[in-house]
Amino acid sequence: MKTIQEIQADIVEEFSVFSDWMDKYEYLIELGKGMPLIDEKDKTEANLIRGCQSRVWLSCRAEDGRLHFAADSDAIITKGIISLLLKVYDGQTPADILAADEAFIGEIGLKENLSPTRANGLVSMIAAIKAYAAAFQAGTEEKPRDLEADVVAALRMVYDPEIPVNVYDMGLIYDIQADADGQVFIRMTLTAPNCPIADDVVAQVREAVSDVPGVKDVQVELVFEPEWTTDRMSEEAKLELGML
Amino acid sequence: MEARSIFPALDRQIYGKPLIYFDNAATAQRPQAVLDLQQRLCVEACGNIHRAIHRLSAEATDAYEAGREAVRRFINAPARENVVFTSGTTASINLVATCFCERFLGAGDRILVSEAEHHSNLVPWQLACGRQGASLEVLPVDEAGELSVEELDRRLAAAEGRIKLVAVTHISNVLGIVNPVRELVAVAHRYGVPVLVDGAQGIIHETVDVQALDCDFYAFSGHKVYAPTGIGVLYGKTRWLDEMPPFMGGGEMIDTVSFEKTTYAPLPLKYEAGTQNFVAAACFAPALETARALMDDPVLQENLLAMRDFLLAELGRIEGMRIYGCPRDPQRKIPLISFTVAGAFPADLAQILDKMGIAVRSGHVCAEPLLRRFGQTSVVRASLAPYNTLAECESFVAALRRAVNMLR
Repeated sequence: MKTIQEIQADIVEEFSVFSDWMDKYEYLIELGKGMPLIDEKDKTEANLIRGCQSRVWLSCRAEDGRLHFAADSDAIITKGIISLLLKVYDGQTPADILAADEAFIGEIGLKENLSPTRANGLVSMIAAIKAYAAAFQAGTEEKPRDLEADVVAALRMVYDPEIPVNVYDMGLIYDIQADADGQVFIRMTLTAPNCPIADDVVAQVREAVSDVPGVKDVQVELVFEPEWTTDRMSEEAKLELGML
Repeated sequence: MEARSIFPALDRQIYGKPLIYFDNAATAQRPQAVLDLQQRLCVEACGNIHRAIHRLSAEATDAYEAGREAVRRFINAPARENVVFTSGTTASINLVATCFCERFLGAGDRILVSEAEHHSNLVPWQLACGRQGASLEVLPVDEAGELSVEELDRRLAAAEGRIKLVAVTHISNVLGIVNPVRELVAVAHRYGVPVLVDGAQGIIHETVDVQALDCDFYAFSGHKVYAPTGIGVLYGKTRWLDEMPPFMGGGEMIDTVSFEKTTYAPLPLKYEAGTQNFVAAACFAPALETARALMDDPVLQENLLAMRDFLLAELGRIEGMRIYGCPRDPQRKIPLISFTVAGAFPADLAQILDKMGIAVRSGHVCAEPLLRRFGQTSVVRASLAPYNTLAECESFVAALRRAVNMLR
């Protein structure tokens, strides 16, 4: 099967024939109408992603290490874009899904549809696809479970909203202790002691780690000693923030 | 008067097409006079109001109070003390929901709201009821979208004094129907029950005379009457503003402060804690002058009605069209039309219209319970201002037909 990058390149190619927005939208509407519907029984409250403009439903099942998605929306243009996203992600492995991005949506000129201000549920839907992939990846390690590694993977999904690098690679995590009973202790810091969203980040860390299979209890300690410096960032983080 | 030339935003091109701005119920565009004053005050008189002796502060305070006087005149409030500045309609309603309810709402009491309320005139009351152990009662709208004065009478009689306040919208942001506020207030007052009117839409479509309406509170925002965002007004009768406790504590709302006891500033400053948005408040003066001029211009007013009638007639010709809010007396409908078209989802229509340079609102328009009553989760809303034209309405109808055809 084709890789995510190959499928995205195909879609960009496909859209390059449209010269104006009207044709593009008509094609999206067609895609939306032709999309296989989500099973009615999966159109549940739990699978619902609410936007102020439209609603999106997403369900996911795993088969042979690959994820399969079904989705629906009450808005047809949103549904057309969903069908593109599913074309890309359906049948891929969790690792590939987590590594991929959605830049191709911008390349085909539909970037504004992924803007959070559209409130059409697409942004939350992409987050939900990634969350499924992360959960599945964390839950199906074949080797004996290494709880600490799973906790690190979960921490890599947590972001301070103002920094595009996850808390682990930022070097904000000072200590991780995971015992065999699933008791996890995390000592962490923030980039600045007066960070206005400190509670938020700590809560996110706690939530992400408690979702890791095998974790029974999480304790997070927030410290500002020793002080965080940029030396603690990983090479990737420095690269991402343009510091190298 | 020529309305369009004084609103510079209307010259914008959207995706290479002239902007057709039909989302005036959300926010109106600002006239040059407002933009000029905003700029001038920021440059020349940026000093905190009511505080310092120096010249900048004095000029800022004068401009702020001139804004208050402009509001007082516009709504015919008896005095300056009845006009409280807030950050907007929502803040005004929250102020009353907090302060009135703390003082006058007890366990087992009720607040009555209408089914047509914006979330901003619903959720604050829910919160207050939760705090006081009270409950919310809902006055329904009928299929046409109208409220019944007789039904209000029946409810108040049946409640036997347990309804402590009625909160009702002057004009619903979905239905565009002018509610019989004067009659509703008169009935409520017969039972000794005060009335808060949500004037977010009413303030710009009707000449509002709070003394003639006799309402106890009237709340509205600046940005729907050509003033900036972040400023709004709470009109209140002196009796209530005196008896209610203060809302927020802090600077300017005090008389004297000691650790044992603090006494509060006289009205309206009692409710204006902290540094106010004085530049925006001052802008009420030119904004309301513009609003008055547009409202008093017979040609523009006739044009508004002509646009309303044209849209109602032409939209009605589109197959599968359903319009929400069709009062028995058609003159009670303002040029604000919410609709759905079978087979075309509102967000899709709005998105395609946007590509054609047309700004309309779509979604639940902050009135989920009302939409649910009509079996919808989402509508499209076109809302007009005096600076819109019949030619724009024609383009809108043509564009809408095209969008519907694309989607079906």
